[in-house]
Amino acid sequence: MNRSAPLITRLVAAGVDLLAGIYLAAIVLRVLIPRGIFDISPAPFTTTDMLIILGSGALLMVAGMVSGASLGRSAMRLTVTDGWGRTLTTHLGWTLLVTTVMTGWIITGMDPLALFSSGGLEGAQRIFGALLTPDWDILGEALMAMVETIYLAFMATAIAVPFSFLLSFFSARNLMNDVTHRRIAYVVLRFITNFSRSIEPLIWAIVFSVWVGIGPFAGMLALVVHTIASLTKQYAEQIEDVDHGPMEAITATGASRTQVIWFSVVPQCVIPFLSFTIYRWDINVRMATVIGLVGGGGIGNMLIQYQGLAQWNEVGAIVIIIAVVVWIMDVISARVREALK
Amino acid sequence: MQPVLSVRDVSLTYPNGYTALKGVSFDVRQGEFLVVIGLSGSGKSTLMRTLNRLLEPTGGSIRYDGQDVTHIEGEPLRKHRSRIGMIFQHFNLIRRHSVLRNVLYGALGAMSSVQSITGRFTAEQQQVALRNLDIVGIADKANQRADALSGGQQQRVAIARALMQQPSMLLADEPVASLDPATSHSVMQYLEKINKEQGVTVICNLHFLSLVRRYATRVIALKGGELIFEGTPDAITDEWFRTIYGEEAVEVEIR
Repeated sequence: MNRSAPLITRLVAAGVDLLAGIYLAAIVLRVLIPRGIFDISPAPFTTTDMLIILGSGALLMVAGMVSGASLGRSAMRLTVTDGWGRTLTTHLGWTLLVTTVMTGWIITGMDPLALFSSGGLEGAQRIFGALLTPDWDILGEALMAMVETIYLAFMATAIAVPFSFLLSFFSARNLMNDVTHRRIAYVVLRFITNFSRSIEPLIWAIVFSVWVGIGPFAGMLALVVHTIASLTKQYAEQIEDVDHGPMEAITATGASRTQVIWFSVVPQCVIPFLSFTIYRWDINVRMATVIGLVGGGGIGNMLIQYQGLAQWNEVGAIVIIIAVVVWIMDVISARVREALK
Repeated sequence: MQPVLSVRDVSLTYPNGYTALKGVSFDVRQGEFLVVIGLSGSGKSTLMRTLNRLLEPTGGSIRYDGQDVTHIEGEPLRKHRSRIGMIFQHFNLIRRHSVLRNVLYGALGAMSSVQSITGRFTAEQQQVALRNLDIVGIADKANQRADALSGGQQQRVAIARALMQQPSMLLADEPVASLDPATSHSVMQYLEKINKEQGVTVICNLHFLSLVRRYATRVIALKGGELIFEGTPDAITDEWFRTIYGEEAVEVEIR
């Protein structure tokens, strides 16, 4: 055993073992045995179960510490006992992987037969048949809804840009690491943007549809929040990439911090910023379509209505319109971004 | 005559623990053309950046024009920097902006942030900028994009930008290191012209001794962050050369 390794590293290694043991015991006890072997839903959670699970974790951790054969030690690049210790660790790793795949198979209700059963194939034939014979009577209405979606995405992008522009300078590490209060502001801002980006626009749409009522406005607000978070991060990363030389040169003229940023950082970023913004609008058109499904307005809203009525020919027409418009926007935005380089 | 710049026992240790300067002391009088020589990593660039306080020394003191500037910050620091022009090995122009605008940015130090943010410079400033471009012989390029110019021309734009500050001193950090020999002399001659005609003190880092002998009025040499030589260019004997650059070094001529 490597006694010279820092305490924190050894603690993390032990923690990894503990979690691995708990995880392994939990999926075996709660998923693999009841649902995999007996095909029943697991019995209600009892204190005994809890103790067994926690106990297994503790057991694995202690075993790892005593024997030196442990996943945690191997993950933290500490010495693992040679020979049997290494073999045991490898086996443990494989056990974890295999049980995880098995658990995943059970939990997702994997049923390849359903794909190819006669009943399944009949359903597929029905829906594809309808989708491939679209009903173009709704063309005008669908195009209007599509336009609404595009504008929704456009407005969301346009509203988000000034916010992102301003925030990005405060989220760029190279501009914020000189004094303590800036470093704190940087960390806080990064946390907020990362956190709001990790919430899907779909969920924001639900929040705003309760707040301002179902409709395009709620959908747009959802996109605004997500776009601010995403663009701020992209802009900030671009700022972190700027050539430091011009910044130094402008600083050397006696320019203030604001002047340095405005005259040496911004000129280097304008074109990439524009490129990111156009791409974000493109992404937002696609997202706006999905957001429409939960009442965010536009073409998604229309799609979900016809789907609810099981009017598959109309659904087919809408799907084709979405695909074509998204494809066209994608091509245009790629061309424009290419031209900007 | 009182020295305009007085460096006393200046040391600088970077936050990562690397010590770039160890107790460097020297004086510079108004109108000198002082060249700093030494191997890459000997502390030349660091020294230069402590003089206009892009970097703050961790020891010693720097007096400029009678004022202790070692630890100033805020407005006094801006003012100090604006009195000293600086040019760089890689020119450091704003590539996408016009030559004229790049020169005008030299005036930022004398303007308030609010005043300058609209990017509008006065007619007088534009005239001064054009005159400075004329001094370095490229007034005809004023409206071209900076990155459309050759390396030597870009360095001349950088000199014009520094002149825009109406500096009493010019720092040149390896000004010709990324230029070819012919262009090198052209750039050095503009520095010499400004030094002689306007009386601007020049402190310049150089690699080629032939350039040092041609342009310097005085030389200092750094090795491992310490000042090991101070004297006239012709005092750099072969022995000094080997001390400064190491036993293996061979002098390369640039004509």
